[in-house]
Amino acid sequence: MEQHLEYALYIASVLGAISLSLMMPRRSKPLRFLGPILGAAALGGLWLFLSGSDFWADRETGLSGAGFLYYYVFSGISIAAAVKVITHTRPVYAALWFVMVVLASAGLFIVLSAQFMAFAIIIIYGGAILVTYVFVIMLASQPDPDGQSGQIYDKVAREPTMACAAGFLLLAVLLSLSFDPQIAAQPDPDNSDIALIGSTLGGRPIQPSARFEYDPQSELMVEAQPIPTPTNLDPARLSNAERIGLDLFRSHPLGLELAGVILLISLVGAVVIARTKVPDEHPPAPG
Amino acid sequence: MPLNAIDSLALSHFLLTGAVLFCLGLIGFISRRNLIIMFLCTEMMFQGVAVSLVAFSRFHLNDTGQTFVIFVLTIAAAEAALALGLVVLLFRRKKTLDALAWSDLKG
Amino acid sequence: MPIELIKLVPWIPLLGAALCGVCCMKPVWRKAAGPISVLSIFIPFLITCGVYSAAKHLNDTQQVQTVYSWIGVGEFQVNMAYFIDPLTMVMLFVVTGIGSLIATYAMGYMKGDRGYARFFMGVSLFIFAMTTLVMADNLVLLYLGWEGVGLCSYLLIGYYYDKPFAVAAAKKAFIVNRIGDLGFALGIFLTYMTYHTVSLSVVTDMARHAVEQGFDPTTADLWIPFLLMLGAFGKSAQIPLHVWLPDAMAGPTPVSALVHAATMVTAGVYMIARLMPVFQLSPYALPTVATVGGVTALFAGTIALCQYDLKKVFAYSTVSQLGYMFLGVGALSTFGGIFHLFTHAFFKALLFLTAGSVMHALAGQLDLRAMSGLRHKMPVTCWLMFAGCLALAGFPFTAGFFSKDTILAEAMVRGTGEHGSTLFFWLAIMGLATAFLTAFYTFRLWFRVFMGPEHFEMGDDDHGADDAHGDDHGHAHEPHEMPWWPMNAPLAVLAVGALFAGLIFSGWMTTNIEESTAQPAVALNIQTDPQTAPAYEIIAVSDQADTHAAAADSHADAGHGDDHEAHRAHGIHVLLKWVSSFIALLGIALAGYFHWLNRPLTDQIAKRFSGVVEVLYNKYYVDELYDLTIVKPLRRLGHGFYLFDQFVINGLVMTVGYLPRLVGWSVRPTQSGQIQGYGLGMVMGMALVALLVFKWAF
Repeated sequence: MEQHLEYALYIASVLGAISLSLMMPRRSKPLRFLGPILGAAALGGLWLFLSGSDFWADRETGLSGAGFLYYYVFSGISIAAAVKVITHTRPVYAALWFVMVVLASAGLFIVLSAQFMAFAIIIIYGGAILVTYVFVIMLASQPDPDGQSGQIYDKVAREPTMACAAGFLLLAVLLSLSFDPQIAAQPDPDNSDIALIGSTLGGRPIQPSARFEYDPQSELMVEAQPIPTPTNLDPARLSNAERIGLDLFRSHPLGLELAGVILLISLVGAVVIARTKVPDEHPPAPG
Repeated sequence: MPLNAIDSLALSHFLLTGAVLFCLGLIGFISRRNLIIMFLCTEMMFQGVAVSLVAFSRFHLNDTGQTFVIFVLTIAAAEAALALGLVVLLFRRKKTLDALAWSDLKG
Repeated sequence: MPIELIKLVPWIPLLGAALCGVCCMKPVWRKAAGPISVLSIFIPFLITCGVYSAAKHLNDTQQVQTVYSWIGVGEFQVNMAYFIDPLTMVMLFVVTGIGSLIATYAMGYMKGDRGYARFFMGVSLFIFAMTTLVMADNLVLLYLGWEGVGLCSYLLIGYYYDKPFAVAAAKKAFIVNRIGDLGFALGIFLTYMTYHTVSLSVVTDMARHAVEQGFDPTTADLWIPFLLMLGAFGKSAQIPLHVWLPDAMAGPTPVSALVHAATMVTAGVYMIARLMPVFQLSPYALPTVATVGGVTALFAGTIALCQYDLKKVFAYSTVSQLGYMFLGVGALSTFGGIFHLFTHAFFKALLFLTAGSVMHALAGQLDLRAMSGLRHKMPVTCWLMFAGCLALAGFPFTAGFFSKDTILAEAMVRGTGEHGSTLFFWLAIMGLATAFLTAFYTFRLWFRVFMGPEHFEMGDDDHGADDAHGDDHGHAHEPHEMPWWPMNAPLAVLAVGALFAGLIFSGWMTTNIEESTAQPAVALNIQTDPQTAPAYEIIAVSDQADTHAAAADSHADAGHGDDHEAHRAHGIHVLLKWVSSFIALLGIALAGYFHWLNRPLTDQIAKRFSGVVEVLYNKYYVDELYDLTIVKPLRRLGHGFYLFDQFVINGLVMTVGYLPRLVGWSVRPTQSGQIQGYGLGMVMGMALVALLVFKWAF
């Protein structure tokens, strides 16, 4: 059965590669209509195969049936939108389709009970970053050389077949890895135990280093009282956002600081770049 | 809301979606010639990674996965700011967004 | 003067060479090089004189002075040690004395030349090597000097390195010498393997002992002399390795005088004289040496007859005279060989330097046919050269007369009598014939150049020294006499030597050389081989009256020598003196008739025998023969190797070299500058790594 699954993954990958390479923007696009069909067939066939497989039937997946339905829906939308992003010849539409990818991903997050992240990516990606992209796309738009819509470099991809082959080779490898029961991550009983969540929520067990403070009475530095930690919090009653906040600030303070530094640096960098004066070159754009 | 972990099969499904998004972004990055689309595709790769991270988070019932998505978002934002700034700079120089126009930088 | 000072003799010229090297650096300093060099040669001469007079009072002048331990590998021990005995002293007198005179002359001759400092550096370095050679206590040190003089010879012949013929001559000299040196090196190796030492004194003592005891020559005993001989033939330009010396005249004339006439080329004679006992171990060695010497003498003499190049005549004359010296040592007369070496140094240096003066005066003209009757233009040079010619021709009571007669007489003594060998008889006859030729060609040259109607053609050679005369008189100037200082004065000293060295020094030489290696060797030989007894006897008899005391001593030493033999030898000596005087005078007279008084007749005769003249002019086609038999095949072989190297070795190397280039060429397109191409590579790499790590590793 595992053997069959592996073959199914490979076949789906090959089909996906063919379909995508048919859909990529090219000078001549024969059989372009076959692309979506083949792609849908590959994805759908794979899902069908997975849902009909042996180890599907008598197992508790952890998701409700409705949950899986939503998975299929959002996953399908996001993949289809992603295909549109990379195959669309007009940048603005690509950006808009990317918004669709983000929205569908947000749906997937909600299926995974990560509500905070779902909204976060909608706000940040779909809101902030994508708006920036659209701005830049508008800023860098050129008058069309031949009256038609779109630039030549948008209409003709660079070595799409090769790229599809490489990409789907990687995809096949990744999939065969993620569906390999021997390699696929097993839930760590110590880590997935609900009882562990409490300690996880509390982050690493805090080993309070001795803090000292000035005691005016004895005029000495004495050991301070430990700061109370929320060990009594009930993880089950905390919301997703609260848990993430706790995790972020308890377990990853350094990462948080670094992220702040990176943002600051990029801010400075963006300002510098924006102020840079560049000479004007007008070479004919290579076709 | 009671939370229970998904099993490895469900995880694999989400990983499939993440991997497909990632690889599609990769293909786009490799084959598209518009600089902006290229960076859009890197964002899509981030998106795939984010899906995988959240799925792992649920699989392990460990919120660090979701925390990492925040970091991914941070990097994506920084990258978008810098990369788009550079793209504008390059566009001002050559009046084109074609990546091939810059292949003379091969040295 | 303490005898230890002798240690300084080689090092002062080396210091001088270093200083001259410093002088090369700035044009302003160059002028200092000449005086530095002359001083660095003259001071050792003074030291030699001082040490000689100090050592004369010592009972035993023969001693070893060790400077430092040079090479020590297990039992193989080589010291930087000097062996001082009368033979060495004589050689030192020649090298440093004649050397300083010639260097003084060269100060004038080379004046204004671009490589002035370089020239004197070579000269000083040469003196270092030559003194090392003659003072060496062991064969390795001797070999150091031997190769050192070879190197200096190469450097000085190739002094005009922008002239192809000079470069070719330098290469030729070096390569021909290498052939000889290979034999010499092998001889040294074999000596070490046989005697387990390279010390000259020990080796000669052991060999002498072996001769004394009566011995059965081993294979090594037979081979060592022949190998060493090869080195001597190469260095001293004997057949068949004589070809380099005439070409070596491409160097500046003082170099020809110093290196290629007076000193370096005599190293072979010195070496055989020094190792005489070793040569005696092989019954065939010394006859071979004598034969080669005699044949070379005649052979080179005939060639000299028909050369038109002034320096070539003297070059072949040198080869011829070196042949005499070999004949002398080959006839067991170390004294004769070294004595001739001594006198030859005087008159050949003088002849070369006067030839240099003529060449200098005529702007590089060397062709005999292009000059005539120069006696009015250059009176001093004319008579200086006359003195040299007399000595070379063996005119009675000049230097060459005594030394040459000694050699000839001893060869004759060995060739006659009851034990006489026919070989030596004929060698002596050949020597006499050569003596006639020598007288003839020497005076042919002199009469041609200085007598007859005045006529000359200037050479086209822009001789560097021309600039030195202050007044810029261009190329078309008249021939002029050389200035007394620094050019003619040393020549006058040499001329005095050439005329009277034989008279003055024969007694001195006898005493010295007899005390040296030759005497015991010969004395020992008397016991084992009665045939050679007269050889020693003759030394005494042949000398002038003032050496009779020494002769008597020697006679006493050889007390059991046959009285009759001694008497016979004396008779031969007296006879030969008359004969050779007659021959020399005849040669001079004929030369005068043919080349002064009746030149048209000479030309007619030359026309009649044009074939002979042609052969002689072309030096018996030896060069062509070597070219055909050795050089061309070697060149073809070399070409074959070149092709092999080019296509096989080089092909292999290039293949190895091309491999990375091929790889680079095949992956170069990926370096397209398109960042997406790099991304593609990254993706494939990632997929491959994932496969390798996660799938195939399980």
